[in-house]
Amino acid sequence: MIMTTQDRPPDRDELLAMAYVDDELDGAERSAFESRLAHDERLRQEVSQLRKLEVLARRVAPPEPADLVWAALDRDALHRAGLSTGLLLCGAGVAVVALGVVALVLRASALPLALRIGVVAVVLGAAILYGTLLRARLRTIPHDPYTEVRR
Amino acid sequence: MIVVTTEGVAGHEVLETIGLVRGCSVRSSALHAEVVARGMEQVGGEILEYTKLLAEVREQALDRMVDEARARGADAVVAVRMVTSEVSRGSAEIIAYGTAVKLTPR
Repeated sequence: MIMTTQDRPPDRDELLAMAYVDDELDGAERSAFESRLAHDERLRQEVSQLRKLEVLARRVAPPEPADLVWAALDRDALHRAGLSTGLLLCGAGVAVVALGVVALVLRASALPLALRIGVVAVVLGAAILYGTLLRARLRTIPHDPYTEVRR
Repeated sequence: MIVVTTEGVAGHEVLETIGLVRGCSVRSSALHAEVVARGMEQVGGEILEYTKLLAEVREQALDRMVDEARARGADAVVAVRMVTSEVSRGSAEIIAYGTAVKLTPR
């Protein structure tokens, strides 16, 4: 990976990837590189990493005083613990409430069967949908250079 | 690729007008970021999660516009503008557009 520390000079593919990201290849070189990209996963990873770096470098600017305070807060154990605990409790609470609703509906024999099945289907469907979308997002994050943009 | 909001580029003449190029992007923040952002709305100040989200969308829309201009053989995109739309609540949406041109030094 180019973004990791390395002592050796970049190889030809890494130099080509840098030139590609910096828009320095001419038409024929660009086309040739793009056709290789379509079949070479390692090259795609290289370009993705370089694009992240390029997007980040474009945004280099002197930090504002508030940015420094936010950066310090990000390192502050109490702040991080507060955010993590709050989010964890909220998430766990939603899950427990959803499971509780399912349990209540399943036991409520006074409710019509169709309604009970419908409520359980909605809760399960929402959980499956969210899980599937989250999985898809986690797989695309490594190729998304814009997650590095700060402002 | 030169990208400017003006009608022309200093020191260059427009050799050929290629046409309209545009890029758009719609992005939303992750659920945990959204929860934190909603909390920030209550206490005031800059909502960093939304600032970052808007910046991500802006960069992606601009990059897509530039990609289209490059694919059409342009040297520059002039008269660039950005507009927002509203497809869904909780998402940031930006359309960047401009005129792709070929330039020659004056």
